[in-house]
Amino acid sequence: MSDIDTTKVVKQKKTMEKIIQNAMAPAALLILYLFFGFFGRNFFSYSTFVNIIEASYYLGFLSVGVTFVIITGGIDLSVGGVMMAAAIIGGTAYKTWGWSMEVSLVLIIVIAVGFGFFNGIMVSRLKMPPFIVTLGTMMISMGTGSIVSNVRSATFPSRVNPDGWFKNIFKIITENRKMIPTGAFVLLAVVIISYLILTKTKMGRYIYAIGSNKEAARLSGVNVKRWEMSTYVVAGFCAGIGGIGFAATYTTVMPAQGQGFELFAIAGAVIGGTSLRGGSGSVWGTLIGVFIMAVLRTGLPSMNLQAHYQTFFTGVVVIGAVLLDMYRTRKATEVKLVRPSDRYKGSMLEKIAKLQKEKSEAKDAGNSERVSEITGEIRSLKQEMRRNYSKMKADEKAEEKRIRAEERAAEREFEEALRQQGQDEKS
Amino acid sequence: MSEPILSMRDIEKSYTGVHALKGVNFDLYPGEIHALVGENGAGKSTLMKVLTGIAPKDAGEIHYYGKLFNARNPEQALNLGIGIIHQELNMMDELTVAQNVFIGREFTGRGGLFLKDKEQNRQAAELFARLNMNIDPTERLGNLTVSRQQMVEIAKVVSHNLRVLILDEPTAALTDSEIKELFTIMRDLTSRGVAMIHISHRLDEIDQIADRVTVLRDGENAGTAKVSEVSKADVINMMVGRVIYEEPKSESTVSEDADVVLEVQNLKSGSLVNDVSFTLKRGEILGFAGLIGAGRTETARALFGADPIDSGQIKINGRLVRIESPQDAVAHGLGYLSEDRKRFGLALDLGVSDNMAMASYDHFLKGPFIDSGKLQKVAEHYIDRLSIKTPSLEQLLRNLSGGNQQKVVIAKWLIRNSDILIFDEPTRGIDVGSKSEIYTLMNELAEQGRSIIMISSELPEILRMSDRIMVMCEGRVTGELDIADASQEEIMKYATMRIKSNLGVEQDV
Repeated sequence: MSDIDTTKVVKQKKTMEKIIQNAMAPAALLILYLFFGFFGRNFFSYSTFVNIIEASYYLGFLSVGVTFVIITGGIDLSVGGVMMAAAIIGGTAYKTWGWSMEVSLVLIIVIAVGFGFFNGIMVSRLKMPPFIVTLGTMMISMGTGSIVSNVRSATFPSRVNPDGWFKNIFKIITENRKMIPTGAFVLLAVVIISYLILTKTKMGRYIYAIGSNKEAARLSGVNVKRWEMSTYVVAGFCAGIGGIGFAATYTTVMPAQGQGFELFAIAGAVIGGTSLRGGSGSVWGTLIGVFIMAVLRTGLPSMNLQAHYQTFFTGVVVIGAVLLDMYRTRKATEVKLVRPSDRYKGSMLEKIAKLQKEKSEAKDAGNSERVSEITGEIRSLKQEMRRNYSKMKADEKAEEKRIRAEERAAEREFEEALRQQGQDEKS
Repeated sequence: MSEPILSMRDIEKSYTGVHALKGVNFDLYPGEIHALVGENGAGKSTLMKVLTGIAPKDAGEIHYYGKLFNARNPEQALNLGIGIIHQELNMMDELTVAQNVFIGREFTGRGGLFLKDKEQNRQAAELFARLNMNIDPTERLGNLTVSRQQMVEIAKVVSHNLRVLILDEPTAALTDSEIKELFTIMRDLTSRGVAMIHISHRLDEIDQIADRVTVLRDGENAGTAKVSEVSKADVINMMVGRVIYEEPKSESTVSEDADVVLEVQNLKSGSLVNDVSFTLKRGEILGFAGLIGAGRTETARALFGADPIDSGQIKINGRLVRIESPQDAVAHGLGYLSEDRKRFGLALDLGVSDNMAMASYDHFLKGPFIDSGKLQKVAEHYIDRLSIKTPSLEQLLRNLSGGNQQKVVIAKWLIRNSDILIFDEPTRGIDVGSKSEIYTLMNELAEQGRSIIMISSELPEILRMSDRIMVMCEGRVTGELDIADASQEEIMKYATMRIKSNLGVEQDV
């Protein structure tokens, strides 16, 4: 009987825990937004809102892509470099080689996916550590970008140019100069598709399975190489979209730009609750993580703090998020003990519930005398319960305290004896 | 009897979903070896964790030398004379024996800057001499055998002015001669006044070494008795609360003309699978017996594509097949239940249904998406059929008991509809109750026409389950026995049939 009670308590606690867990990151984002709204200059405005959204694009894509890799227990340090290399090569193709805009944009995606393939093959087939492979790819991609562009920046066409049509994918400026950050929808679409892949498809299940126990997945007949590889390709693809987003937002892409982007991308995933150990994480969390960084980035200048404070506070948020996550998992596995007092309370509540049922039955039968009788009974039972429960609880607490105090006393005594013994041995 | 050195009263402890200890009592007297037994999940390890401060108790009292006391962490417990040797050793392979013994309390010269390795080695040598252990303190720890490493760990713990020594399944990885050596050391320690708690699954050992035995069942005391006054059967009854008969199978239940579903010819893989050939019939349970390291697991892994095959042929249902990866094996209807579930069989951080479906998501697709409704139905069916005890489908495997984890792995292959199942040590680390459930299940599967290869190091298990027995030694098949002719002695004869006698070499390091 008591066992069933235990599991019940645990179950209820778990769902509560889960709700809190899922609400924590969005709540943090909201609080941060409101904070800057109240203390920052001009923060609650449409243009600031657009700024926040814009600041989240390319990082958002990178972060979502890297989330796939991290869930398998891998890491991708190359996404920033790959994104910028793809963007600058695409720009060079358009400007210097005279390729059409459409083909140049496709080239951006192809290059980024190509680097993803390279990472994937190195990690899954040649069994190289992802950290090393992607570190190498980060440098290779940056170098490639500079070599191909001949260390010149690539400028994409502006809005007035008909070739600048692709900018409308990420931001539409209406005739009365109103801005619509359509890139947010692109990002949202990528997140939704990623979410569906990760939770509703075979690929997603295998990604989590590989992250949780690669060898068990392999021995279940899962094509580990293929699915592991696919996550790096996804990361590459997302870096490609990020590259287009970057080009659309900032127009000019400089060589060797993009250092450190990968770390912010990883930070976004981590803030969103993706564990670097692999096996857990979600793209919604990642999206929230990215927005938290974007709010910091736009919010801090509105409080007259320069942009580099962003880096500082992002670091604080990353460490805070991981600490919180550890605390949460510990809390979630913690069990509340059902003591005699709790069992007593449970049985009393059961009795009361039974009476209440009886009462409503009596009410339906129109037996008012019986109703008032039961009401009285319930009241006295409740009083009795409250009195006894608090007394039992207090007794239990006192008993525990007594034991603990005695244990501590014995501890000191034993340690004193030990010290004495040590001194005796010396002398 | 004198006063107990240690007395635990009404100890309570709960983990998520598990009430592990429900008011357990335990007494330990000076100089005794007290065996602590019980099925897996009975609470033995939890009780010891509470005692050594690894896990705090929820309620209850522990008296140590007559005083109410509970260590807050294992270091404190050790300092005050309560030491534990875990099943898995916790030492540094790359350090020397002496460095391992004195880790955390190294001998330093004046000023505490430089280490005095010589002094440390001398002290360690003295310690080993005192304990009658023949170990070189300057040897790299990783060069020692497991049993030697265990002795080093015992010496390390004992050097802390030990009063209570807890041994958690110390013999699990040892050979018979090593066990004897360990027992000598244990007896020697008791003569110095050290009291011991000996946790074990092997009931035979208890007769040999323990003075008293306490049995736990489902987190409660099932009884305490003097070893000289109870029989093995009594202890088992206390453990499971009912009587279990382990009678060997008398004859094969497979008919002579049953189809051959699997034929392995001259299989070679690595150094431990050498020219292995055998056949498996429909509905047959083929036992693989042998000593540890005979190459049975390696054969299974090669057959399953987990390790590369160097040469040899595999025929399934008469057709020659190529198996280069577990994927190929699964596609050909093979399923492998590893001896090490946690490492090779399960994703501990995923839920029950996710683990069950891991080998067969293809069966649960509806377009590009997973049909979670169908998956749920199937998972529920198997939870019911295998009577898996779990609060929900999403429950993480980490939180299930060993027996239930094993059932989830079995469900994984049943859902995949695998015809040939390789059970590698199917009941290792599983309590007696779940054991017989798994036996029943295996028999049912064989009756339904599935074929089973069962690798087991427990001869009673081999004799009880198998229709036919292959015996391996040093990577070769040394014997094939029909169950009707098999006996423990016969199996052991083949299991020790070495190419050349190298017994001496094996015993040294």
